Amino acid sequence: MNIFIPLLLGIVVGYLLRNRIRASMDKPMSAALLFLIFFMGVEAGRVEIDALKLFVSSLIFASFTILGSLFVALLGVRR
Amino acid sequence: MSFLYLVISSLLLGILAGKYTTLDFGNLYEFMLYLLIFIIGIDIGKSKGLREELKKLGKLSLLLPASTVVGSLAGGFLASLLLKVPLKWGLAISAGFGWYSLTGPLLATYSPMYGVIGFLANLTREILTIIFYPLAIKKVPKEKAIVMGGATTMDTTLPLMAKFGGTEITLLAFVHGFVLTAIAPFLIPLILQLL
Repeated sequence: MNIFIPLLLGIVVGYLLRNRIRASMDKPMSAALLFLIFFMGVEAGRVEIDALKLFVSSLIFASFTILGSLFVALLGVRR
Repeated sequence: MSFLYLVISSLLLGILAGKYTTLDFGNLYEFMLYLLIFIIGIDIGKSKGLREELKKLGKLSLLLPASTVVGSLAGGFLASLLLKVPLKWGLAISAGFGWYSLTGPLLATYSPMYGVIGFLANLTREILTIIFYPLAIKKVPKEKAIVMGGATTMDTTLPLMAKFGGTEITLLAFVHGFVLTAIAPFLIPLILQLL
Protein backbone atom coordinates (compact mmCIF):
# COMPACT_ATOMS: atom_id res chain seq x y z
CA MET A 1 0.00 0.00 0.00
CA ASN A 2 1.25 3.47 -0.77
CA ILE A 3 2.26 5.40 2.34
CA PHE A 4 0.35 8.49 1.15
CA ILE A 5 -3.01 6.74 1.51
CA PRO A 6 -3.05 6.32 5.34
CA LEU A 7 -1.36 9.73 5.73
CA LEU A 8 -3.91 11.63 3.63
CA LEU A 9 -6.73 9.60 5.16
CA GLY A 10 -5.47 10.54 8.63
CA ILE A 11 -5.18 14.23 7.72
CA VAL A 12 -8.74 14.26 6.35
CA VAL A 13 -10.11 12.41 9.42
CA GLY A 14 -8.15 14.69 11.77
CA TYR A 15 -9.35 17.81 9.99
CA LEU A 16 -13.01 16.70 9.85
CA LEU A 17 -13.01 15.65 13.52
CA ARG A 18 -10.73 18.46 14.76
CA ASN A 19 -13.37 19.75 17.15
CA ARG A 20 -14.33 16.30 18.43
CA ILE A 21 -10.92 14.74 18.99
CA ARG A 22 -9.81 16.15 22.33
CA ALA A 23 -7.47 13.36 23.36
CA SER A 24 -3.79 13.76 22.60
CA MET A 25 -2.38 11.47 19.91
CA ASP A 26 0.79 11.03 21.96
CA LYS A 27 -0.08 7.74 23.68
CA PRO A 28 -1.45 5.82 20.66
CA MET A 29 1.46 7.13 18.63
CA SER A 30 3.99 6.03 21.26
CA ALA A 31 2.45 2.55 21.56
CA ALA A 32 2.34 2.06 17.77
CA LEU A 33 5.87 3.35 17.53
CA LEU A 34 7.32 0.96 20.13
CA PHE A 35 5.70 -2.04 18.40
CA LEU A 36 6.88 -0.82 15.04
CA ILE A 37 10.46 -0.40 16.23
CA PHE A 38 10.37 -3.87 17.79
CA PHE A 39 9.21 -5.40 14.49
CA MET A 40 11.81 -3.36 12.66
CA GLY A 41 14.44 -4.81 15.01
CA VAL A 42 13.16 -8.32 14.24
CA GLU A 43 13.55 -7.67 10.49
CA ALA A 44 17.01 -6.20 11.04
CA GLY A 45 18.04 -9.08 13.33
CA ARG A 46 17.49 -11.53 10.48
CA VAL A 47 20.03 -9.70 8.34
CA GLU A 48 23.78 -9.96 8.92
CA ILE A 49 24.96 -6.48 9.98
CA ASP A 50 28.43 -5.02 10.43
CA ALA A 51 27.94 -3.04 13.66
CA LEU A 52 30.97 -0.77 13.25
CA LYS A 53 30.07 0.11 9.65
CA LEU A 54 26.52 0.84 10.79
CA PHE A 55 27.72 3.13 13.59
CA VAL A 56 30.14 5.05 11.36
CA SER A 57 27.52 5.45 8.60
CA SER A 58 24.94 6.76 11.07
CA LEU A 59 27.39 9.23 12.58
CA ILE A 60 28.47 10.53 9.17
CA PHE A 61 24.88 10.95 7.95
CA ALA A 62 23.85 12.71 11.18
CA SER A 63 26.85 15.06 11.18
CA PHE A 64 26.59 15.92 7.49
CA THR A 65 22.86 16.64 7.63
CA ILE A 66 23.32 18.88 10.71
CA LEU A 67 26.29 20.73 9.20
CA GLY A 68 24.55 21.05 5.82
CA SER A 69 21.46 22.56 7.45
CA LEU A 70 23.57 24.99 9.50
CA PHE A 71 25.62 25.99 6.45
CA VAL A 72 22.56 26.78 4.32
CA ALA A 73 20.83 28.63 7.19
CA LEU A 74 23.90 30.77 7.87
CA LEU A 75 24.49 31.49 4.21
CA GLY A 76 20.97 31.90 2.91
CA VAL A 77 18.72 33.19 5.70
CA ARG A 78 18.57 36.91 6.39
CA ARG A 79 16.24 38.43 8.96
CA MET B 1 14.51 11.16 27.59
CA SER B 2 12.95 8.08 29.24
CA PHE B 3 10.96 7.37 26.06
CA LEU B 4 14.24 7.32 24.19
CA TYR B 5 15.36 4.44 26.44
CA LEU B 6 12.14 2.55 25.63
CA VAL B 7 12.74 3.10 21.91
CA ILE B 8 16.30 1.80 22.09
CA SER B 9 15.17 -1.16 24.25
CA SER B 10 12.46 -2.06 21.71
CA LEU B 11 14.97 -1.97 18.90
CA LEU B 12 17.51 -4.12 20.76
CA LEU B 13 14.82 -6.57 21.88
CA GLY B 14 13.59 -6.87 18.29
CA ILE B 15 17.10 -7.43 16.93
CA LEU B 16 17.69 -10.17 19.53
CA ALA B 17 14.32 -11.78 18.71
CA GLY B 18 15.08 -11.67 14.99
CA LYS B 19 18.60 -13.02 15.40
CA TYR B 20 18.02 -15.81 17.93
CA THR B 21 14.38 -16.93 17.46
CA THR B 22 12.23 -18.06 14.56
CA LEU B 23 9.19 -16.01 15.60
CA ASP B 24 7.06 -14.96 12.64
CA PHE B 25 4.92 -11.84 13.04
CA GLY B 26 3.44 -11.97 9.55
CA ASN B 27 2.22 -8.60 8.30
CA LEU B 28 2.13 -6.96 11.72
CA TYR B 29 5.09 -4.78 10.82
CA GLU B 30 3.33 -3.21 7.83
CA PHE B 31 0.08 -2.92 9.74
CA MET B 32 1.78 -0.99 12.57
CA LEU B 33 3.52 1.27 10.06
CA TYR B 34 0.27 2.22 8.34
CA LEU B 35 -1.42 2.68 11.70
CA LEU B 36 1.35 5.00 12.87
CA ILE B 37 1.22 7.02 9.63
CA PHE B 38 -2.56 7.26 9.97
CA ILE B 39 -2.26 8.55 13.56
CA ILE B 40 0.39 11.06 12.45
CA GLY B 41 -2.04 12.20 9.75
CA ILE B 42 -4.80 12.72 12.33
CA ASP B 43 -2.40 14.73 14.48
CA ILE B 44 -1.47 17.00 11.56
CA GLY B 45 -5.11 17.32 10.46
CA LYS B 46 -6.47 18.35 13.86
CA SER B 47 -3.79 21.01 14.53
CA LYS B 48 -5.38 24.42 14.90
CA GLY B 49 -4.20 27.99 14.48
CA LEU B 50 -0.98 27.23 12.64
CA ARG B 51 -1.74 29.73 9.89
CA GLU B 52 -2.11 32.60 12.39
CA GLU B 53 1.10 31.68 14.20
CA LEU B 54 2.97 31.51 10.90
CA LYS B 55 1.88 35.04 10.03
CA LYS B 56 3.32 36.31 13.31
CA LEU B 57 6.69 34.72 12.70
CA GLY B 58 7.04 36.02 9.15
CA LYS B 59 9.23 34.62 6.44
CA LEU B 60 11.76 33.13 8.87
CA SER B 61 9.25 30.42 9.71
CA LEU B 62 9.47 29.17 6.13
CA LEU B 63 13.06 30.07 5.32
CA LEU B 64 14.50 28.03 8.20
CA PRO B 65 12.68 24.77 7.31
CA ALA B 66 13.64 25.36 3.67
CA SER B 67 17.29 25.68 4.75
CA THR B 68 16.98 22.45 6.72
CA VAL B 69 15.54 20.61 3.72
CA VAL B 70 18.20 21.87 1.28
CA GLY B 71 21.07 21.52 3.77
CA SER B 72 20.07 18.05 4.96
CA LEU B 73 19.70 16.74 1.41
CA ALA B 74 23.06 18.30 0.45
CA GLY B 75 24.62 16.70 3.54
CA GLY B 76 23.02 13.37 2.67
CA PHE B 77 24.32 13.68 -0.87
CA LEU B 78 27.90 14.19 0.37
CA ALA B 79 27.57 11.38 2.93
CA SER B 80 26.36 9.05 0.14
CA LEU B 81 29.42 9.87 -1.95
CA LEU B 82 31.74 9.38 1.02
CA LEU B 83 30.19 6.08 2.15
CA LYS B 84 29.45 4.84 -1.38
CA VAL B 85 25.79 4.43 -0.47
CA PRO B 86 23.35 4.62 -3.44
CA LEU B 87 22.09 8.20 -3.78
CA LYS B 88 18.45 7.19 -3.40
CA TRP B 89 19.07 5.72 0.06
CA GLY B 90 21.38 8.55 1.14
CA LEU B 91 18.81 11.21 0.26
CA ALA B 92 15.95 9.21 1.81
CA ILE B 93 17.91 8.79 5.07
CA SER B 94 18.67 12.52 5.23
CA ALA B 95 15.06 13.44 4.36
CA GLY B 96 14.01 12.11 7.77
CA PHE B 97 15.32 15.35 9.33
CA GLY B 98 15.93 13.59 12.65
CA TRP B 99 12.54 11.85 12.71
CA TYR B 100 14.01 8.41 13.35
CA SER B 101 10.74 6.73 14.23
CA LEU B 102 9.35 7.52 10.79
CA THR B 103 12.47 7.16 8.65
CA GLY B 104 13.63 3.79 10.02
CA PRO B 105 10.36 1.88 9.60
CA LEU B 106 9.61 3.56 6.27
CA LEU B 107 12.96 2.59 4.76
CA ALA B 108 12.78 -0.86 6.32
CA THR B 109 9.76 -1.71 4.16
CA TYR B 110 12.13 -1.48 1.19
CA SER B 111 15.39 -2.63 2.84
CA PRO B 112 15.89 -3.74 6.49
CA MET B 113 19.57 -2.71 6.32
CA TYR B 114 18.86 0.87 5.20
CA GLY B 115 15.94 0.94 7.63
CA VAL B 116 18.36 0.45 10.51
CA ILE B 117 20.82 3.03 9.12
CA GLY B 118 17.92 5.47 8.61
CA PHE B 119 16.78 4.89 12.16
CA LEU B 120 20.23 5.24 13.74
CA ALA B 121 21.36 8.20 11.60
CA ASN B 122 18.27 10.19 12.53
CA LEU B 123 18.45 9.13 16.18
CA THR B 124 22.10 10.25 16.17
CA ARG B 125 20.99 13.61 14.72
CA GLU B 126 18.67 14.08 17.68
CA ILE B 127 21.37 13.09 20.18
CA LEU B 128 23.98 15.34 18.53
CA THR B 129 21.52 18.24 18.61
CA ILE B 130 20.94 17.70 22.33
CA ILE B 131 24.70 17.70 22.94
CA PHE B 132 25.81 20.45 20.53
CA TYR B 133 22.96 22.99 20.34
CA PRO B 134 23.98 24.66 23.63
CA LEU B 135 27.56 24.89 22.33
CA ALA B 136 26.63 25.97 18.79
CA ILE B 137 24.64 29.03 19.92
CA LYS B 138 27.81 30.54 21.34
CA LYS B 139 29.06 30.94 17.74
CA VAL B 140 25.88 30.84 15.62
CA PRO B 141 22.69 32.97 15.97
CA LYS B 142 20.38 30.93 18.18
CA GLU B 143 17.40 31.13 15.81
CA LYS B 144 19.50 29.79 12.92
CA ALA B 145 20.95 27.00 15.07
CA ILE B 146 17.38 25.62 15.35
CA VAL B 147 17.97 23.90 11.99
CA MET B 148 20.30 21.41 13.68
CA GLY B 149 17.35 19.62 15.26
CA GLY B 150 15.33 19.16 12.05
CA ALA B 151 11.85 17.82 12.69
CA THR B 152 12.61 17.12 16.36
CA THR B 153 12.42 20.83 17.24
CA MET B 154 8.66 20.54 17.63
CA ASP B 155 8.90 17.90 20.38
CA THR B 156 11.98 16.21 21.83
CA THR B 157 14.53 19.00 21.38
CA LEU B 158 12.02 21.83 21.93
CA PRO B 159 12.62 22.03 25.72
CA LEU B 160 16.35 22.25 25.04
CA MET B 161 15.86 25.09 22.53
CA ALA B 162 13.60 26.91 24.98
CA LYS B 163 16.05 26.49 27.85
CA PHE B 164 19.22 27.51 26.02
CA GLY B 165 17.82 29.71 23.21
CA GLY B 166 15.18 31.50 25.29
CA THR B 167 11.40 31.57 25.12
CA GLU B 168 11.44 33.99 22.16
CA ILE B 169 12.66 31.24 19.81
CA THR B 170 10.39 28.51 21.18
CA LEU B 171 7.53 29.20 18.77
CA LEU B 172 9.91 29.46 15.84
CA ALA B 173 11.49 26.11 16.81
CA PHE B 174 8.04 24.53 17.09
CA VAL B 175 6.91 25.80 13.68
CA HIS B 176 10.23 24.74 12.13
CA GLY B 177 9.72 21.21 13.44
CA PHE B 178 6.06 21.20 12.47
CA VAL B 179 6.75 22.17 8.85
CA LEU B 180 9.44 19.49 8.55
CA THR B 181 7.18 16.93 10.22
CA ALA B 182 4.59 17.66 7.54
CA ILE B 183 7.16 17.42 4.73
CA ALA B 184 9.10 14.26 5.74
CA PRO B 185 6.30 11.66 5.31
CA PHE B 186 5.83 12.87 1.72
CA LEU B 187 9.44 13.49 0.81
CA ILE B 188 10.92 10.11 1.86
CA PRO B 189 8.58 7.92 -0.26
CA LEU B 190 8.82 10.45 -3.09
CA ILE B 191 12.62 10.10 -3.17
CA LEU B 192 12.38 6.31 -3.01
CA GLN B 193 9.85 6.18 -5.84
CA LEU B 194 11.45 8.78 -8.12
CA LEU B 195 15.14 7.79 -7.90
